[in-house]
Amino acid sequence: MMVGKDISDISVKVPEDAHDTGKYMPTFSAYLTAIVRDSQGRVVSVHRQRSHSPTANFMGLFLPLNWYGSSNNSFTLTNATGGTCTYQPSLGQFTYEITYPSVDGYPTYLVGIQVGSGQQSNAFNAYNLAAPIANGSGVGQLVYGSPSVSTNVSASGSSAYISIMQTFANQSGGTINVTELGIMVAVQLGEASLGYTTNCGNLLIWYDVLSSSISVPNGGSLTIAYTFTVNP
Amino acid sequence: MVAPDAVSEEDIDKLIIPDNLPDEPTFKTYIEAKVYDKEGHIIDYRKQPMKSLTQYFLALMSIPLIGTFQGSSNYNATDILTNTLGLPSQVSVYSYTPNISWEWSIQVGSGTQTFSPTLNSLAAPIPNGTAVGDLLYGSIGVAYTATTIYIVESVSNNTGNTINVTEIGLQCTIYLQYQNPSNSYAVNTYNFLLSYDTFSTAISIPAGGFATFQIVISFTG
Repeated sequence: MMVGKDISDISVKVPEDAHDTGKYMPTFSAYLTAIVRDSQGRVVSVHRQRSHSPTANFMGLFLPLNWYGSSNNSFTLTNATGGTCTYQPSLGQFTYEITYPSVDGYPTYLVGIQVGSGQQSNAFNAYNLAAPIANGSGVGQLVYGSPSVSTNVSASGSSAYISIMQTFANQSGGTINVTELGIMVAVQLGEASLGYTTNCGNLLIWYDVLSSSISVPNGGSLTIAYTFTVNP
Repeated sequence: MVAPDAVSEEDIDKLIIPDNLPDEPTFKTYIEAKVYDKEGHIIDYRKQPMKSLTQYFLALMSIPLIGTFQGSSNYNATDILTNTLGLPSQVSVYSYTPNISWEWSIQVGSGTQTFSPTLNSLAAPIPNGTAVGDLLYGSIGVAYTATTIYIVESVSNNTGNTINVTEIGLQCTIYLQYQNPSNSYAVNTYNFLLSYDTFSTAISIPAGGFATFQIVISFTG
């Protein structure tokens, strides 16, 4: 082990000439684009805004083994219906981690972008939208298309990005207002050597409230694109 | 903004990129370095923004964002995992379910190179050891609070000479664990560079001294 105290214990005097640029530069950016079309397919509005909010579920799934192993930590994942799942990955035959493809299945996959008509302030703790808009052609519903995802990380110069896109058709007979959205992923945890699995259900991974409501006219559609980019 | 004509999928692609929104950082990350002499006195302190995440960072992020399978009934890995990380489309197994996990580490080096998002190693990594030019790497520490992750690595200079650090990277090792066709437990590993940065001036770690390097990644929410 290294000599010295924990890094948080820095009571020593910092030299006068210490370098500290102090200014943070975003090396990562997330934003969303919403394109609304009328019943003739014409674009009637385009909305773009920063995307701000990974949820706790995202953080739990993104953390490396180092965090889980250092103090025997575990993370509680919460699915869209409020059910919970304990996540505690580590290396070993009988531990549960995110499933990876084989012929046996048990998929962990993108369910899609979920849109809603409500809003909630604490995105980090959100596990579902405040008022999800159901998939269908009934009153207040939108017909959800299939999500599409980049087939690669697209790199150009120093930048690179991936995107997730999905279209929603309004066949409800009335205008639908969208105020919130998020990314939903179905997560299964699998254990390599005995075949046990845990289905955690659909997890809200990312959540945003739109800076202004988006109105989708009857017969029209809404296309949402989430873009995640480095070194923009 | 209103456009009078129908928009093609190609036009949508043009809307998605580039990112020309007003600058409201939603993500902050920085690097901190503290250097101590052999008596444990701090002799240098640096804090600078991390500037250069690689495409592998995005690919790793894609695992929680879009999962590992192409769909509920498509048992192949996502294109990002196969095309960008070079992971297999499927793992051949005896039976049961393969799984994926990852570890992070910090590597420091004594070289410099031009950044590219496809960069996958430091220019001149400093090996772990006590021989001339080596640094003794301690265990990695990872802490987490809400949307911020702290990664800390300590290195000791037991070589007898000053070691200069000019570059730093956050590295990732991905593990695929599975029961292979011979019904034996197996682990495949894949290594990637998640970030690459250089220091404006070299960080000198004196003989007998040590340094701590911290990378902080914050999704500001």
